[in-house]
Amino acid sequence: MAVVEVRNLVIEYRRLFRPPLRAVDNLSFEVREGEIVGFLGVNGAGKTSTIKAIMGFQPPTSGSIRLFGLSATDPRARQQVGFLPETALYSPYLTPYETLRLYGELHGLRGHALKAQVEALLEALKIDHKAHTLNKHLSKGMLQRVGIAQALLGDPKLLVLDEVSSGLDPIGRRELRDLLKVQQARGVTIFFSSHDLNEVATICDRILILHQGRLIAEHTLSELAGYPGSLEDYFVATVQSGRDALLKEVAA
Amino acid sequence: MSARTWQITRAMLTAGTLETLRRKELYVIAILAVLMVLGAYTFHFFGVRGLEIFIKDVAFTAIGVLTTVLTVFITARQIPDEIQRRTIYPLLARPISRGQLLFAKWATATFTAGFCFLVLALLTAGLIATLSIGLKPIFIQYLLLKLLGIGWLCAMVIALSVYLTPPACITLSLILAFGSGLFNRLLLMAHWESGLDALWVNLLYGILPHWDFFDMGKKVVYDWAMVPWWVLGAMGGYAVLNGGLWLLLGWLKFRKQVLG
Repeated sequence: MAVVEVRNLVIEYRRLFRPPLRAVDNLSFEVREGEIVGFLGVNGAGKTSTIKAIMGFQPPTSGSIRLFGLSATDPRARQQVGFLPETALYSPYLTPYETLRLYGELHGLRGHALKAQVEALLEALKIDHKAHTLNKHLSKGMLQRVGIAQALLGDPKLLVLDEVSSGLDPIGRRELRDLLKVQQARGVTIFFSSHDLNEVATICDRILILHQGRLIAEHTLSELAGYPGSLEDYFVATVQSGRDALLKEVAA
Repeated sequence: MSARTWQITRAMLTAGTLETLRRKELYVIAILAVLMVLGAYTFHFFGVRGLEIFIKDVAFTAIGVLTTVLTVFITARQIPDEIQRRTIYPLLARPISRGQLLFAKWATATFTAGFCFLVLALLTAGLIATLSIGLKPIFIQYLLLKLLGIGWLCAMVIALSVYLTPPACITLSLILAFGSGLFNRLLLMAHWESGLDALWVNLLYGILPHWDFFDMGKKVVYDWAMVPWWVLGAMGGYAVLNGGLWLLLGWLKFRKQVLG
């Protein structure tokens, strides 16, 4: 069953006195239940625009997106989704405990269930010792852990994570990988973008490579096992060939 | 209001109140108010008698000005702050609609600004009571009307905040709030002096925001009797209808707004 279905997605940004900027160009893909899919691309490839559209923050210029068979803009679709945005600065005047309580209540949790889940996540993300310190006194890595914890509130069936390992130190990255593996074992579907290709190679089932808004490669990690080189080598070669193909297209 | 909307509003309200208290703006405003009243108090200290009205006038003008500024500043940052910090994304990633978020933000601003106003007003009333200056029962109506007005002002500012940048929103809101009495007088002058058509005067008068409607400070200063309760009811009707229109205007933009 497809948890995320993206069909012929086009996202354009209007610009004053200039033609619109096409950030995503006719993109189609699916993420199936229980998969971990890495969404790769260089800066400006259209990853964040696609993720914003999947979460219903960015209306598509054309095309359609469905989550669990529902429109991406339907609040019911987001009942089962946990989302981590790229570099969110959680309110500097709240503590991690209060931040998680806020997002938990917004998710519909309450009472003992909310308290238990907040405390469990603070412990799982190893931020329980900073639970009552104001966010403004936390390091970037600690804030990222708060963000990951808020994404996991409500036991989501789909996790959408944008630059998930941003700000984390090597130990934090390893702990994150373990955490994502635990989530996958629980049957959670994970769709994430990252520049850390080691992380992608370690935990993903499948990768999608985006270049200038177009999907230029889609493989399972087992398909890439025969490639003579690392995932990084494959990524660089694929993006380079995609760039060459686009240049030829423009020249023609 | 549905149980879900109430749950969302309560969650945002708790977080918003904590944030406002920890920003310490309320304390600065309270200190300023105390200083202004103490300034007036010195006349009493030096034995200048019969200045009750002057002291009350200073006190209620200070409350009016500080409440307006505080309300505008608290409300204008509610949504832009979330967008700037990118926390709007995890908020909207929850099963809540943009309309519910806008409403919860309005309720948070109204509660926080209303609470700040009550602290200021009661503190000031307590201070002037130490000078044996009493306040008539109209003071209760003054508090109620101002609270209604704060709800209305928050609706206007939150709507403007989704259309404008934060500095532009703050500037325009302050102009509209402080200028409301002046604009209305200018309209009447234009009608009397240059013969501006009464239809236009009425139309513009209806369109212009009326923050001045919600201030009975002068009536408290001059010890008026209480106004009939239906007047407050009518003002409540105006606040709900006009404030509702502002919220609708804000929602029309915010529901499809591309964020960040």
